[in-house]
Amino acid sequence: MSKLKEALEGGKFPIVVEIKPPKGINPEAMLAPVKSLNGRVTAFSIPDNEHAKMRLSPVAAAQLVKAAGAEPMIHLTCRDRNRLALESELLGAAALGVENVLIISGDFVNQGDHPDAKPVYDADSVQLLQIAKGMMTGFDSAGQELNGKPQYYLGAVAIPEADPLGPQLLRVKKKTTAGVDFFITAPVYDLSKLQEFRQKLGAEVKMLATVKVPKAAEVDQALEGKLRKVYSLPVAVAQELKADDPAEVERKGAALAAKLLKEIKAKNLADGVYLKARGKGELMAAILDQAGI
Amino acid sequence: MIIAERKPFAEIKAALEPYEKILIVGCGTCVAVCLAGGEKEVGLLASQLKLARGQNGKPVKIGEITVERQCDREFMQPLSDAVADYDIVLSTACGAGVQFLAAMPNMKPVIPALNTTFIGVNEEAGFYTERCRACHNCYLGLTGGICPVTMCPKGLLNGPCGGNIKGKCEVNPENDCAWCAIYERLERQGRLDLIDPILPLHPHARTTTPGVIIHQAYKRRYGGHE
Repeated sequence: MSKLKEALEGGKFPIVVEIKPPKGINPEAMLAPVKSLNGRVTAFSIPDNEHAKMRLSPVAAAQLVKAAGAEPMIHLTCRDRNRLALESELLGAAALGVENVLIISGDFVNQGDHPDAKPVYDADSVQLLQIAKGMMTGFDSAGQELNGKPQYYLGAVAIPEADPLGPQLLRVKKKTTAGVDFFITAPVYDLSKLQEFRQKLGAEVKMLATVKVPKAAEVDQALEGKLRKVYSLPVAVAQELKADDPAEVERKGAALAAKLLKEIKAKNLADGVYLKARGKGELMAAILDQAGI
Repeated sequence: MIIAERKPFAEIKAALEPYEKILIVGCGTCVAVCLAGGEKEVGLLASQLKLARGQNGKPVKIGEITVERQCDREFMQPLSDAVADYDIVLSTACGAGVQFLAAMPNMKPVIPALNTTFIGVNEEAGFYTERCRACHNCYLGLTGGICPVTMCPKGLLNGPCGGNIKGKCEVNPENDCAWCAIYERLERQGRLDLIDPILPLHPHARTTTPGVIIHQAYKRRYGGHE
């Protein structure tokens, strides 16, 4: 059974950290945090061609994470595969014992490094959740019986600071109806926004709040009022993070991440945390140290 | 209507390089309205070609003819005779017209002068925007008259992706997020319940190309196609 499921449903405040599959075939850098943090965190999350930039396959990466003795979570984007490929990938994951799957629509191809690629979106993330749930009962989306019933623990994305919020709540409601097990939020720096969102969704909805070490460029954009993201970085916070040396911004960003992590846990603002620290094991370790985890 | 735009002149000129007798065939319907391939555009293209070839010391004979529609045989017959004196036909129709023209008996080789772009509307003079992907399964009755297949670049059927920012699209921030617009319009109309149910996977089997439609009244005549 998924350790993430055990931890989330057992109220154990799991920490999931995001690692970065290589753009190439050498997985050592991706696996460094797995080796250094295994045991301290619940699972290692593997993006699927994140930001529409082509990288090593999440299912292959998940197998490498498992071989290193840790629990993976794969992302599965609707952008790159039709329903056959999505289902085939889900079967592959299950056959390798990968249960944690984050279902996402996926950034559009024009955001990435293959802008002329054909965007697929045969299923959207709500429909893909339905497909995965159906597969768990032993049937594919065409109603054909599977040999065996795969087990998944299914996540989806929610945007606490969505503006307008109504359409986002519609989407969240549909994901819930489709059978999602947990949500992972977009990064949050203003925890009052997380609290408001949580109240809207209800405490029974399992949620990992994303804590992200902001990039120096994001800090500058926030200070100039030009940050174009689905989350906000309050100016007061950006001012504290500002430094001439990007390494110093990163150090301050890690301290901020630790503070956010502690506060989310202490105030029960989410059921766990999803940590994005650019896949850097030492940065993640520093955050966990400072957060007392 | 079908919206198209003219190919870059250099591409057209290069494709016509080996030929000395060129017939330009215009289309008087959609591509005339969108100022890409009607009688006027045929005339302009002919002048441009004559000038360019003259400057290159390779003069050409260019004929011009514009029919009502190149996608309708009824209007195509006069072309059978017209092409006899030419080596090549340059069509300023959409892709459908080009193919219909190229398939005519005794037709000379046909090359396209346009890139066909989308089914769209005439916003203002010279300003056209896409509205329909011809998906064979219209959702507009459920989505407040805003097409999620076309107006959302991802074609999502169950609400917005996570990428919209203040109601603007992730893919092109100048565009409204289709799902935010759908939500806003249905909310204003008190009909949000229409988008509550999860829409199922789109029936792509219907969109297998090439599509064929036989009108109900003609089923007997063309029954063999069914």
